Amino acid sequence: MADKRTMTLNLTDPEMRLLDELSARKDVSKTALLRQALRLYQMVEERLNRGEKLFFEDEEKKKAELMVV
Amino acid sequence: MKTPVHIIDNRTGQPVEAELFDEVTVEHFIETQQEWRPLVLKAARQLVAHGSRELIPQHFHWDWTTKAPELSALANNFYGIRCENKLQGLMKLQTVGPFCRCRLPEQADKALVYVDYVEVAPWNLKTLAAALGEKPVYNAVGSRLVEAAVLKSKEEDCKGRVGLHSLPITELFYRKVCGMTPVGRDSAKQNLLWLEYTPEQAENFLSGAR
Repeated sequence: MADKRTMTLNLTDPEMRLLDELSARKDVSKTALLRQALRLYQMVEERLNRGEKLFFEDEEKKKAELMVV
Repeated sequence: MKTPVHIIDNRTGQPVEAELFDEVTVEHFIETQQEWRPLVLKAARQLVAHGSRELIPQHFHWDWTTKAPELSALANNFYGIRCENKLQGLMKLQTVGPFCRCRLPEQADKALVYVDYVEVAPWNLKTLAAALGEKPVYNAVGSRLVEAAVLKSKEEDCKGRVGLHSLPITELFYRKVCGMTPVGRDSAKQNLLWLEYTPEQAENFLSGAR
């Protein structure tokens, strides 16, 4: 397991509620959830930087491009 | 990370020490192309020649070198098993992504670790070794990799939950040997069978593997 470092995170009440809700739904700790979010952000960033596009597809195969800032 | 694990040497029937590692590099991918792929293709040709086309593993065309750009992404974890200075198996995990959510009703939407690719050396595969007139050299390489996936799931706080799409030739292995639950065919993934571990099943597998 890689060495880990600790940081303090300041969140607003709505952000904290969302973190609570998502960590409960995913059944992982808040720390684990934020680590996943960071990895997802890296994955999206790297693919966009390579010129790829990010889409969501609904059940009728309609695609919607997701804009990422 | 380098951890000693035990696999079975079929030549003696005895367990031997191998090394499970996660510092996989492009050199390991090249090794699969140089050492594994020619044997896989040779065995596939033998199977075709003997009218056993259905026994050709569906992964015969895999090329791990195409995954080199994915080595740096934190969403991916690669594991290898080395024994007798040869790569015996390779696995790619995803800890985040579209397949990292459970489908079993009792744990639907919870986070899991997804086994994206897993392959053992052709000389360890019964069908391929037989096509080459040999017996498999090692047993339990695949089991050690699944075990590593479960341990990674626990490390990621997913409590042992693991999911994967199985190729037809490995469905029995995941169901019977690993004790995973088959959930259903996935039309979004070549109609492959989706299998999943609950934390309890994962723990049972680890207990049996130890």
